Amino acid sequence: MKKILAMILALALAVTAFACAAPAAEPAATEAPAAEAAATEAPTEAVVEEGFHPASEVTLNFPCIWVGTDSKAAVFGEMVAAFNDEYAGRAKVVIEEQTDYQAYRDKIRTMISAGQAPDLFSVDGTFKLADLADSGKLMDFAPYLDGTDWGATYTEGALSDATLDGKIYAIPFESAVFGIYYNSELLANAGYTEFPTTYDDMFAMADALKAQGVIAFPLMTGENAWTSMLWYSQILLAIGGPDVYKNGLDDPAFVQAADVLKKMFDYTSSDAVGAGAAVVNGHFLNFEAAVYTNGPWFLPRFAKEGINDLGSKVKFALPPEYTGGMGTYGGLAGTVQAYLCAGTQTDADKAAAVVEFYKFINQPEWLYQLAESSGAMFFVKLDSNPNDIQIKQDLLAAANSAPYIVKHFNDSMPTAVGNAFPAALDELVLGTVDAQGFVDLLKAAGE
Amino acid sequence: MTKRNETAYLNAGDAAKAGLGKVLKWILMLFFAFYTLFPLIWLIISSFKTNTELFGDPFSLPAVWQIGNYINAFKVSGLLKMMGNSVVIGGLSTVLNVLCASMLAYCISRFHFKGREAIFTFFAAGILVPLNALMVPYYVIISQIGLYNTRAGLILLYSAIGIPMSTFIIRGLMDSLSREIEEAAYIDGCGFFGRYFRIILPLSQNGIVTAATFQFLTCWNEFVFANLLTSSQNVRTIQLGIRYFTNQFSTDFVSMYAAIVISIVPSIIGYMIFQKQIVSGLTSGAVKG
Amino acid sequence: MKPTKKDRLGMALFMTPALVLFVLFFIIPVGYVLVVSLFKWNGMTAATFVGMKNYVTIWKDPVFRRSVINNVLWALVASCVQVPLSVLMALILNRKPRGWKFFRTVYFFPQVISGVALAMLWSAMYNSEYGLINGILRAIGRGDLAINWLGTLNTALPALLIYWVFYIGYYMVIVMSDLSGVDKDFYEAAEIDGASKIQQAWFISLPMIKSSVLTCMTLAAVLGLRQFEQVYLLTNGGPANRTSTMVLYLYKQIQNTRYGPANAASVMLICVGVIVILGIRALFKLGRSSRN
Repeated sequence: MKKILAMILALALAVTAFACAAPAAEPAATEAPAAEAAATEAPTEAVVEEGFHPASEVTLNFPCIWVGTDSKAAVFGEMVAAFNDEYAGRAKVVIEEQTDYQAYRDKIRTMISAGQAPDLFSVDGTFKLADLADSGKLMDFAPYLDGTDWGATYTEGALSDATLDGKIYAIPFESAVFGIYYNSELLANAGYTEFPTTYDDMFAMADALKAQGVIAFPLMTGENAWTSMLWYSQILLAIGGPDVYKNGLDDPAFVQAADVLKKMFDYTSSDAVGAGAAVVNGHFLNFEAAVYTNGPWFLPRFAKEGINDLGSKVKFALPPEYTGGMGTYGGLAGTVQAYLCAGTQTDADKAAAVVEFYKFINQPEWLYQLAESSGAMFFVKLDSNPNDIQIKQDLLAAANSAPYIVKHFNDSMPTAVGNAFPAALDELVLGTVDAQGFVDLLKAAGE
Repeated sequence: MTKRNETAYLNAGDAAKAGLGKVLKWILMLFFAFYTLFPLIWLIISSFKTNTELFGDPFSLPAVWQIGNYINAFKVSGLLKMMGNSVVIGGLSTVLNVLCASMLAYCISRFHFKGREAIFTFFAAGILVPLNALMVPYYVIISQIGLYNTRAGLILLYSAIGIPMSTFIIRGLMDSLSREIEEAAYIDGCGFFGRYFRIILPLSQNGIVTAATFQFLTCWNEFVFANLLTSSQNVRTIQLGIRYFTNQFSTDFVSMYAAIVISIVPSIIGYMIFQKQIVSGLTSGAVKG
Repeated sequence: MKPTKKDRLGMALFMTPALVLFVLFFIIPVGYVLVVSLFKWNGMTAATFVGMKNYVTIWKDPVFRRSVINNVLWALVASCVQVPLSVLMALILNRKPRGWKFFRTVYFFPQVISGVALAMLWSAMYNSEYGLINGILRAIGRGDLAINWLGTLNTALPALLIYWVFYIGYYMVIVMSDLSGVDKDFYEAAEIDGASKIQQAWFISLPMIKSSVLTCMTLAAVLGLRQFEQVYLLTNGGPANRTSTMVLYLYKQIQNTRYGPANAASVMLICVGVIVILGIRALFKLGRSSRN
């Protein structure tokens, strides 16, 4: 026994020592996938500054969420490979695969807190621009974007929205607007060929759907209460207009909108309280629910995953108007789905490489491909794509002619308020508080 | 009633009682077997469905058995490599952990010295430390000692975070070992190390194997720090492989289930071998008392 | 026994590795937690010292207080129901009925399956639209009882506790490994004396495995206090934070970038844990001394 244990001990120490030494010899990280496939299809007319000549090859690490089963993974991988190809010997971007989004957020937050922000990374609206700016750990892109050719490629207002005290710590990258999508067959069964244009009519329709045994609105309060939060945002805009967030939660629109949202829960599935996104999506894709909302990235999934040829039956609609509300019909809720950020660099070559890379991946030719393959929308101006599915074209047309697109509730509120939304909604739906109490809970969370 | 009749009656009653006991026993055993097997069976069946089916009727059989989910799972870049990493990281950290914990438990359990209960309470309190709150310090410590993105970093961290739990389990079982054998050995001139290696370690084998089992499973299932402290697929573990099917907007549950099924095969086999080892290696005789 | 001089040297050698790891990965990080708990900090911008304010804040937060109560419930149910069930099954399997090896392996399966899969199964079981439980209720004509189990205020927590309590493999393995060391002669002697199986279990087995039962009860209490994963995955603390736990609370505070309250909650969790561990040990000691 003693000998065996001594051997195990020795072995353990030896292998541990080996394991400590071994990784140094290994390649630091996987290279972006599909390296070979990339070069041929890369847009060759890329605008590349010839001025980038670092002293030695610069390596940039990039914890990246556009990998794995993400719909942007394939094209994004090609983009990175093309960059590494073109800048071979000068700069190299090393992708770190991040698939679990919550874990990714935790990691970025941890790294920033530890004072070691990654070279390249993306964030969404749960990170507040003011905090990112105050952290002092991020690069300012204003010099490269203000009044430059690169800056001119962005849609109007995109950059000014991201500018804080004249500095741009986060480049707006992926955008989204939220439309309403309905199952035209289920609506037809209930006697509707068009989607109603007012909330009153919408509730009348919901009654008709309910009589048919159909779930009118698949809603959720689990996870981040995503689809419910989107509806709340649309209702807020319809009632309070585009300036609804200006006065914070004191605006009476928040209470009124909560009443409307609560009413929608009369027409939802019995499992809505506590339901997650997968449950909500399941109801719509399984032909059980009639009216859905989500970002453009979801649109390809109607055809891919819906039963009974759902893809051909889903139609786009604008969010309804609220009688007596301050909103304008056609106004939409939207979001910055991803900003691009970079950790501060002490090395000028590295900083230059970061700019080169972000310029490279923001070329309209690449983004056009990325949009086509994934359904996503971007802040860089792009030509319309005739290959887009009809609902996506409808959504883009609506976005282009929208009188206003206002960031959704979670984006417009402090992080803590957005995080408190699901639990407050539970209370509202379960009747432990009224609409005013619901808003009070949100207010308390923000303090 | 004659005495004999009474006895017969009692025996019949006893027999009935024993029969009832037997039935009860089997009901319990079968209930728990069903209850614990059910998740596995559900997981396996679900891993052959489509996602839409899964959320339409989670308890039906698949209309078409989707072998493709398993093909997807195996397509994950380096799933086998990740499994290998998990085996190496889990195995080495378990050995390191159990070694450290058993040596500590030996000192605490077998010797009376000042502050031993204090040390033990300190360690036991370690079980309560919520690791979610330690992301920043662990990130800093592991990067500072230069083990970010290495298997060694995870091995070290996992060994450490399991020490309170392992010490707790091993000490609990060491406490019930009889003092006499040890004292006899002491009188026979067996020293500190001899008593540990020749007597205490073999006798507390069960506790050590139990602690090792939990330690290994903890490592095998750990995700947060595996993701936080690595950046390269070469050193990553199976839990990151399983989450390959998750992204910002959706999760491909059925393919993920397929990956989970693949990933639990080695742990179940490993567990069965381990358990066999315990049974065959059992030291019978006056261990207790 | 009392350590001799030589023993002391050996002890120093034996305790050092564990102590080093413990200092590096527990003492230092917990020190960090203590310090941060006294600051207002969002993890990005400069921190401000606020003293004990974070502790007051979370203690005044009804969600945190409910989390503490929920954790105590988890701990109680685990150590007073789950552990006795485990001991019962360990005693049954210890007598080696037919197929006992199969049963012992099977009971442990849920620990091997990832928690994600287990949570997905049970959220499907409890689902009100397509859940199996409501399906059974409807099949036996009690569709009126079919509800959204995890989305109703007073059923959510019991639903979580009940499904969890029957996964006994964890503790059963500990008890069985302790039981397997009990000398068979004891049972044979008892058998000859006419003791029934139940009497044997009660008078012979149980006293022998006292220390592993103590281990299990303490572990169960401690893991109950630390409960996070299943709640996070199944209800995320909902509905309306009714099933929240301390670790979930602190995790959500981190999401809110409120590191001060998050770390204050960690400190309180550790304190509660120490009290519980010491309490259980004291109880067992009391039991031991009163019998002697």
